[in-house]
Amino acid sequence: MSDEKSKEILDALKNAVIQYDEDAAKDSAQKALDIGMDVNDAIFNGLVSGMEEVGRLFEAQEYFVPELLMCADALYAGLDILKPHAKKMDLGVKGSVVIGTVEGDVHDIGKNIVKMMFDVAGFTVYDLGRDVPLDRFVEEQLKTDSDLVCLSAMMTTTMVGMKKVIEDLKAKNPNVKIMIGGAPVSKDIADKWGADGYAKDANNALKDAINMISSLKKLKEDAEAKKI
Amino acid sequence: MTDSTPTPRERVLKLFAGEAIDRPPCFSGMGNVTIEGLKKFGYKFASLHSNARMLSDAAASTYRLFGFECGVVPFDLCVEAEALGCEINVYAHLDDILYPTIRKKLINNEEEMDIVVPSELPALGRIPLIKEAIGLLKAEIGKEVAVGSYVLGPFTLAGQIMELNDLLKLSFKKPDKVGKLLETLAGVIIVVAKEYESAGADYITVREMGATSDVLSPRVFKNLILPYLKKIFAELKTHSVLHICGKTNDISVPMLESGAKAISVDQKNDAAETRKKIGRDALLFGNYDPYNVLVSGTPGKVREAIRKCLDDGVSAVWPGCDIWPTVPPENLHAMMDEVRKYRR
Repeated sequence: MSDEKSKEILDALKNAVIQYDEDAAKDSAQKALDIGMDVNDAIFNGLVSGMEEVGRLFEAQEYFVPELLMCADALYAGLDILKPHAKKMDLGVKGSVVIGTVEGDVHDIGKNIVKMMFDVAGFTVYDLGRDVPLDRFVEEQLKTDSDLVCLSAMMTTTMVGMKKVIEDLKAKNPNVKIMIGGAPVSKDIADKWGADGYAKDANNALKDAINMISSLKKLKEDAEAKKI
Repeated sequence: MTDSTPTPRERVLKLFAGEAIDRPPCFSGMGNVTIEGLKKFGYKFASLHSNARMLSDAAASTYRLFGFECGVVPFDLCVEAEALGCEINVYAHLDDILYPTIRKKLINNEEEMDIVVPSELPALGRIPLIKEAIGLLKAEIGKEVAVGSYVLGPFTLAGQIMELNDLLKLSFKKPDKVGKLLETLAGVIIVVAKEYESAGADYITVREMGATSDVLSPRVFKNLILPYLKKIFAELKTHSVLHICGKTNDISVPMLESGAKAISVDQKNDAAETRKKIGRDALLFGNYDPYNVLVSGTPGKVREAIRKCLDDGVSAVWPGCDIWPTVPPENLHAMMDEVRKYRR
């Protein structure tokens, strides 16, 4: 396999995401498999690189939420083909997460973007959906012994429910990490309520997603550097 | 001087009419029920939405207890969607305050976007009930304060009756199809708003939150949504406000072009910049943060935020969204006091 051919495919994957072209993403993902490319390389340096650029375009207000959603569709179109062939990365954590939008809130765009990040990183995602009764988060975490619980609320009117979930989760399992997200959420609120992380909006969720994935990428590269 | 002090109602009506007033009013076109008000009547939030008497009592209480200068019903954003056939959830099983949401959408896929509006729309869902509540509220406090009501904007209503994800993507991929739906929904909104007008609403706010620049580009707002907002405002006889939350600085001028008498923005809008853009005489309502300032702030922080709104040049002190019911009484009192004593 030539480096040139690999680079071409990585660029094609990246551009397919940026130009929200699902067909091109599928084609290029299949090509990557056909020539026997490293699948994690195709995911991170192709699809995720594209999403990084999308994040930049979103930040610059060239892209808005509709574009973001279409780019995410393109990413998933590629990911669905590549993922069955991906090697599980050893990240030092078990890698499972419970995610959902709290009861009273039916907005799930931000939640789905964060979910995408975990899908990309190879986490097992237990997506409870939206308008989720608060007790369900605690039940699901206990049932699945997940490392991480992500709570999302788009409206002030539903955000207040998160406080109770955080208390219940931490009481039952002090080691669980909790991330909260949504427009009304602030660092202040996250600190006050004892959450481990927060993302304020879709843009920040995407940035957080990219930061987490970039650090995963780095971990992977470091691990590979050590091997050599 | 005391003799010439207008009532809150006169002040609001004069403001809309472009006449000189002694000071900007402090009111809202969105929900402003408080826990204090509910306590007074022993009402549960979830029970309010389907009872005209309770809606009216609760709406009047914010004026009665705090001097807030209006009365507004309803308190939820599901009235139009429900009348069109969506199923709503009022969370009756919970004691916490949760606003009703849509449990079952009307449109489940692209093929179902050609909806037919029932001719008996004014009789459907809670529209008659909201009209009744407006009437009761008028009788109760209508001589002293202006009575308002609100409808959703066409794009926001579309997001209630179909998946928002789908709507957003289609607004990009198939703008003609979305435009057709918005046209139909503009018709729905006009019918509902006219019902509220006939029930006696002094002003109507059109809430088009879905069109915020946090979500949609100003270009899509102007090309796809604005034409239908214009249609709606051309039909409204009573005073009208267009509310959009989130980022709105780049769309403040088109918002006014919609034909609304006033525009309403939230705390993410730089109101001083907007004032410069829209000129001295245009009506700009806003833009304090109804949660992080009014609910979790101190009275001092509230006063500071109110002064900033007025310094920035708002025509009325008005919240960025519904007032969250757990607002501490001392903060509401501080806000009203600050508005009354402010001198430019």
